[in-house]
Amino acid sequence: MSQPVIEIKGLKNYLGNQWVHSDVNLSIEKGEIVAIIGGSGSGKTTILRSVLMLQKPTAGKITVFGKDISTLNDQSADEMRRRWGMLFQHSALFSGMTVLENIMFPMKELTSLEHPFMKKLAMLKISLVGLPKEAASKLPSQLSGGMQRRAAAARALAMDPELLFLDEPTTGLDPYSARQFDELILFLRDALDLTVVIVSHDLESIKRCTDRVAFIGEGKILALEPIKDLMKNKQPLIAEYFSKF
Amino acid sequence: MTNIESTACFLFNKDQNHYVCEGSWSILNVNTLNKQFKDTTALDSVKISGAGITHFDSAGALVLLQYVHSLKKQKKQVELMEFNPKHQDLLKLIEEKQDALTYTPPAPQKHSVLYKIGLETTHKLSQVDGLIVLIGSLSDKIFAAFAEWRRFQFPSIMSNIQSTGLNALPIIALLSFLIGVVLAYQMGLQLETYGASIFIAYLSGMAIFREFAPLITAIIVAGRTSSAFTAQIGSMKINEEIDALNTMGLSPIELIVVPKVLGLLFIFPLLIFWADIFSILGAMLMSKFMLQVGYLDFITRLQDSVGLQQMMLGLYKAPAFALLISLVGCFQGFRVEPNADSVGSQTTKSVVQALFLIIIADAIFSVVYSWMDL
Repeated sequence: MSQPVIEIKGLKNYLGNQWVHSDVNLSIEKGEIVAIIGGSGSGKTTILRSVLMLQKPTAGKITVFGKDISTLNDQSADEMRRRWGMLFQHSALFSGMTVLENIMFPMKELTSLEHPFMKKLAMLKISLVGLPKEAASKLPSQLSGGMQRRAAAARALAMDPELLFLDEPTTGLDPYSARQFDELILFLRDALDLTVVIVSHDLESIKRCTDRVAFIGEGKILALEPIKDLMKNKQPLIAEYFSKF
Repeated sequence: MTNIESTACFLFNKDQNHYVCEGSWSILNVNTLNKQFKDTTALDSVKISGAGITHFDSAGALVLLQYVHSLKKQKKQVELMEFNPKHQDLLKLIEEKQDALTYTPPAPQKHSVLYKIGLETTHKLSQVDGLIVLIGSLSDKIFAAFAEWRRFQFPSIMSNIQSTGLNALPIIALLSFLIGVVLAYQMGLQLETYGASIFIAYLSGMAIFREFAPLITAIIVAGRTSSAFTAQIGSMKINEEIDALNTMGLSPIELIVVPKVLGLLFIFPLLIFWADIFSILGAMLMSKFMLQVGYLDFITRLQDSVGLQQMMLGLYKAPAFALLISLVGCFQGFRVEPNADSVGSQTTKSVVQALFLIIIADAIFSVVYSWMDL
């Protein structure tokens, strides 16, 4: 159990003629909820994209579930992808499918479950994320932004992942829904033994549900500590980040 | 670390007279579990122990609960024991959500044939309506632009000429050359039998100048450009860029449609002329090899018997074709709805409609020309 779920060592990313990351080192333990914060453009989402194999890092080693992701063959990469779920910043729901079909889609493609069970499981995810059941038959374009976010979360949970990535999950939600979403994350962590990585600007939500927070600036992780300590951190960039609160 | 790939079991433990769940109860093992449930003949009073579960996700919990419910329906007593608190919480949560699980989305309403005909009719009428509105505001913007030259968006027009015209030159040249070759070959076969080989210049010249070059150009441009216009405007619409222009008080028609229409109007006659050149080249080459009609003879005959007038008759079609292609492309782009399917279907529609209208327009030209004895 001592082995971290995600371990990033010396990650470097060179994008658009500049170094986004110069030396990122981060290690996330099982069952943790870790937030990655930092100013706009500091490369928070890029870290997620590197870990998710959406973008090849310029240099560095990323280990997920104890396996180096750069050396995986196609098959084991797919197995790895089955074990994590990602909630994208703009929901990224498939626009031609209803919410129910969206959630059932990964199940259909990756498992051989019977249709009625699959539907029940999908409906379970829909009610877990707090969507009304009538939303199941709607197209993403017929839902509000907040509801789309929930539907996307339900899809991220479709395969019961062990590792969940959330890219700004509460941005654009009303405060009540955002707090509900926090509770959902906490609950899922406890119930499903999830490890959660959140990229967020929502300080309220970070305070409520994270165990540790990684602050990224100058292309590095400047600090990785509980939010209480982080807010007292004297490092100039971090102090500036929290100075207006 | 638990391995979710490992198997799951549901076994009867004879010593303690209860059932035990073991292994990883995950979504990947649901089918195995379901089969094991089916193979088990349950006692009247069932005790299920969850102590051996290494991984328990919501799919595993759901499949267990389903089984428990089916047992309860058979009037059997079920007791779950030795589940760890986290697993109990999960089971409790799913139990609470039970009524949502059986929700079946209302089936889409079925409509009668008459309803569908009516719907399609209003749909088509609103399309015509929309197209007329587009043409109206397009002419409005063009006339307004004459008062203020800056509003013609020259850079944008130039880039449209580049992408719709210049970039199409190689493919138009190649295809019209091939058409010229094929045409001369087919005609040559007939002419040769009558010993009237020299008429090849007249026949292929007439066909190419009046019909083939304009039509081939229009078809290629419709396929390349009208689809590109639709996809571009469509994705701008999905990305709310059109709304952004509107809220800034800028007109998407003026900024997007006018440059496209003007650019294509300008370049289209030139493209037809380009196709003329290469089709004639093809025909000339074929005549030389097949009918031994010399290049010089061919050109002289072409000039004498066909002449500039016939070529102009082909070029007069250019504005009509250019307008049709650009208008249909832009119009279908504005009708895109915010989903991925819609971009595809509107792009298809735009190409099909553009081709359809081009053929119709070509037929009208033929009729008009014959009325005018041209």
